Amino acid sequence: MTDAVGFRAPTDWKTDAMQKRIRKRYRAERRFRALGLAAVAMSAAFLIFLLAVMVGNGAAGFMRTEVALPIDFKAAPLDIDRAQLATRGADLALAGAGLQDRVATAATAAFGEKGEELIAENAWTAVRDAIKADPNLLSQRAHVWVPASSDLDAAADGGGEPAMQAEVRKLRERGALQSGFNAGFLSRADSTDPTAVGIWGAFKGSLLTMLVTLLIAFPIGVLSAVYLEEYAPKNRWTDLIEVSINNLAAVPSIIFGLLGLAVFLGTFGLPRSAPLVGGLTLALMIMPVIVIAGRNAIKAVPPSIRDAALGIGASRVQVVFHHVLPLALPGILTGTIIGMARALGETAPLLLIGMRAFIVTPPGGVFDPATVLPVQIFLWSDEVSRGFIEKTSAAIIVLLVFLLAMNALAIYLRNRFETRW
Amino acid sequence: MTQVDFADTAETSAAPAVAPGVPKMAAQGVNVFYGEKQAIRDVSIDVNMENVTAFIGPSGCGKSTFLRTLNRMNDTVASARVEGLITLDGENIYDKTMDVVQLRARVGMVFQKPNPFPKSIYENVAYGPRIHGLARAKGDMDQIVERSLKRAGLWEEVKDRLQDSGTALSGGQQQRLCIARAIAVDPEVILMDEPCSALDPIATAKIEELIHELRGRYAIVIVTHNMQQAARVSQRTAFFHLGTLIEYGETDQIFTAPRQERTKDYITGRYG
Amino acid sequence: MNLYALLFLVTGLGVIAWLTGRARAARYGAASKHRLHSLPGQHGLYVAMWTVIPALFFVIIWSIFTPNLATEAVLRDPQAFALPAFGYEREAVLNEIRARAAGSEYGFYPAAEQLAPVYLQASRFYSWIGTGIAILLAFACGAFAYTRIRADFRARTRVERTVMLALLVASLIAILTTLGIFLSLLFESLRFFAMVPITDFLFGTTWSPQVIDPADPGATLGAVPLFWGTFFIGAVIAMLVAIPFGLMSAIYLTQYAKPVVRKWMKPMLEILAGVPTVVYGYFAALTVGPAIRDFAVSLGFTYASSESALAAGLVMGVMIIPFVSSMADDSIAAVPSAMRDGSLAMGATSSETIRKVLLPAALPGVVAGVLLAVSRAIGETMIVVMAASGAANITANPFESATTVTKQIVDLLTGEAEFDSPKTLAAFALGLTLFLITFLLNIVALRVVKKYREAYD
Repeated sequence: MTDAVGFRAPTDWKTDAMQKRIRKRYRAERRFRALGLAAVAMSAAFLIFLLAVMVGNGAAGFMRTEVALPIDFKAAPLDIDRAQLATRGADLALAGAGLQDRVATAATAAFGEKGEELIAENAWTAVRDAIKADPNLLSQRAHVWVPASSDLDAAADGGGEPAMQAEVRKLRERGALQSGFNAGFLSRADSTDPTAVGIWGAFKGSLLTMLVTLLIAFPIGVLSAVYLEEYAPKNRWTDLIEVSINNLAAVPSIIFGLLGLAVFLGTFGLPRSAPLVGGLTLALMIMPVIVIAGRNAIKAVPPSIRDAALGIGASRVQVVFHHVLPLALPGILTGTIIGMARALGETAPLLLIGMRAFIVTPPGGVFDPATVLPVQIFLWSDEVSRGFIEKTSAAIIVLLVFLLAMNALAIYLRNRFETRW
Repeated sequence: MTQVDFADTAETSAAPAVAPGVPKMAAQGVNVFYGEKQAIRDVSIDVNMENVTAFIGPSGCGKSTFLRTLNRMNDTVASARVEGLITLDGENIYDKTMDVVQLRARVGMVFQKPNPFPKSIYENVAYGPRIHGLARAKGDMDQIVERSLKRAGLWEEVKDRLQDSGTALSGGQQQRLCIARAIAVDPEVILMDEPCSALDPIATAKIEELIHELRGRYAIVIVTHNMQQAARVSQRTAFFHLGTLIEYGETDQIFTAPRQERTKDYITGRYG
Repeated sequence: MNLYALLFLVTGLGVIAWLTGRARAARYGAASKHRLHSLPGQHGLYVAMWTVIPALFFVIIWSIFTPNLATEAVLRDPQAFALPAFGYEREAVLNEIRARAAGSEYGFYPAAEQLAPVYLQASRFYSWIGTGIAILLAFACGAFAYTRIRADFRARTRVERTVMLALLVASLIAILTTLGIFLSLLFESLRFFAMVPITDFLFGTTWSPQVIDPADPGATLGAVPLFWGTFFIGAVIAMLVAIPFGLMSAIYLTQYAKPVVRKWMKPMLEILAGVPTVVYGYFAALTVGPAIRDFAVSLGFTYASSESALAAGLVMGVMIIPFVSSMADDSIAAVPSAMRDGSLAMGATSSETIRKVLLPAALPGVVAGVLLAVSRAIGETMIVVMAASGAANITANPFESATTVTKQIVDLLTGEAEFDSPKTLAAFALGLTLFLITFLLNIVALRVVKKYREAYD
């Protein structure tokens, strides 16, 4: 086909060369698509692997192993006045009567020379609580379930040293080993002994910190969003505010820690390690998140609604507070929850303002020394004792459950109330 | 495949793939659904070579939707479903063996809003030939670009700034660039979806002139809401209403002696 | 009086003020021939505002000063003359006095036990004075506002003006925070640079804050190894993971995935983004680090560290994937669909359309996203604190250990060092550097994003 004309003949798509080329293009297409799928799949696989490792390690952290300790108060009665057991001084009285030593001796008597290593350091408190619950124990020979030491605990989960595993086998044969849900893990605070730790202390610290954060960041964030979206004149000041907010949203969190250290602790002299300071620091950190979410939600409210309200004589403040804000509220709340979830998982700035203290009693208020969940995780992850690995993972599971719940709530709110104008 | 030399004034003698009188594209009993909603009801229509066919009708009547079924652009809408038979040179274009990439190279499309790629003018035109491998050498590509721009009547305006961005052109120029881009792969059919609706009257006149010149080389289908335009540029006109084809015939006949009452009402401006 | 009780009381007074103000305005409305300018409720708000706001301000300021006033009172007590005049012990005793006054029963200093009641008494005294003034203030201001109620009084305008003021103040807090960060970092850094020459800090290649020679503190405080480690882990290794994976995920989810897949995979990525960094850090230290060491040893790198740069960078990269993905997602979505249609209508395949039309068009947005991702990676703290080493090496071997600016800030500030040493102040100098670099990255990226959005709007 040769013709010296301005229009080429239609391309012949059926030639071999063309067909080959098209097959090649389709191969490239499939390859590219597969790459995309692989990227998503790898991200998913990583997430699943991470969660699996945490659950695998952490599940044991919610369980505890108990040993049945035979103890004979009939043969050798404890020197104590029973009337005291009903009073508030019972703990002191039992401790004074040498209960701790008695428990240790009982362990040696029952399980041999190394018996003391099988039960937890605070095992005697379990005996103490048993006696308080049933004073008749003091005249009996009885078995009391006491927490196992962390080495025995690890061995019972299938790890640990061979010697301990042998002990586990022996105890199992005697039926002197049981494991159950470790309720104490959810109700206690930090401790040096991994079998005695709990996350309630850190959790309460987190709650108090979040409360302060919410009370400060939410009003400021919403008001600032309203101002910028509804009233701010277009000038350099407004630009400056906008740049500040957008930049603050991307400033590394540790910088906020330095700010808290220098300003809240240094200049204002607020107490170290207090949820108040942690909350203030995190509030400054998540405020931009709330502002940005708030502005987007307000922007999504159609101008016709403002016009309608202005048209019947509402003032500009009334328009915003009666019409725009209620309509934008779901979006603002979604942003706030996401910001709060970020604050709940934040660690670095709180390390700098001293919320890494060893807190044995849960904080009572926002001025008390406290730690928070993520920092507690960090502290436990640093511990050498093997028993802390499962506790760290268990605490991570608790933290993740809360974060997931918050994010799920945000997604629910977004889907439930999102209005398409 | 033979490369042919470009001569602006010469007439074509290349035989169309289909003998005159046999429809280039034919649709039979076509239904289109978006999810549950039916957008096109039982449309049958033939499109002939060397003709300009205009689709007219009030907005939302389905004329654009139907146009997009002709080169399977509806495939890009996840909820869209097409039933019925549409053929190109007697081949069912919805058949499994039909390659949608080739189909779209053969059935080009020009959109309502000019949509040049954010690339240079040259690269915009060269894009199609490049992905389809139509140019063997650098010289070939230059030739294709020049010829396509000339045919789109844009060459004189842009020949000195081929490396400028396509988005820097005026609206009318952008639309002619998009036409040049479509021509560059030597399509057999060109679909135009309200190509002038975003343009001013002068630019519109240029595009209409261009459609006149292109007629004869391609089967052209143009969707328009402007009845004068349909009367000016087309030989055959189809009137759509509420997703059905009401009337299809010679343009003169449709505008002077419509057979259907609804066509008459629309043309005389009773509704629309 | 307890602070909480006082706040409660003031709020209660506010409610009462609102009710009385509203009632009075309503009476005026009923009696007057003219219509009220503002609704009774707005008059009520006006009175309530006057009642609550000044009193509240006073309470806040007073409660900041009370501890200092009480401490002064303690120091005036004859028993306090025996206290050491300055230094650590004096502070410790004073702290213990405050703790005991707050109810603590444990103590170390006998002096504290004696002085605690003095402190308690003084702080009670001042707190009662504060309460009295606050209540007086509430009543006085409330009464003033109450007397101003007239039929033609523009209560609504006044209330709204206050609301506008509150809005303006709230939005200024962002600027104040930025300024606060910059000034506090700058101030502490200047103190640091008074002890250590800035050139030593910026260009020195030896970093070992554990051994500081008092005569020449700059010799072991050269931050170049930290800058290199930060760049290597955050901007190189992490990005090598995050950019390809994030970009391809975004492309797959926006262009290819069926709606069902997208519906499940997008939240999955959001979860990945929502996992706290301390969890990533723990995972990196517990699982990834040792695995990479074993791998490296099997390759013949016998010196490989379990705190390798690769472990921290890899996990950091995974953490950043969702971020890059969502930025790329936004940029690609911002490209008008007409571009995509135009390309598809030419007979291009999806991948050709994406690679040759969508990505080039979205490039500015993607680049800005990558800049923000880098800013995030180099500011990331917990992963490197837990998984990277403290050894400041300049190395390009990913199996060796490297340390970062953020890790050093944490290490420097959590030791038991005094506040004014070059060691602690160095943390602020590092913080200032980090802030300035991320600030620059953020500003450039935000500019690009803004320009890019405008181009397609």
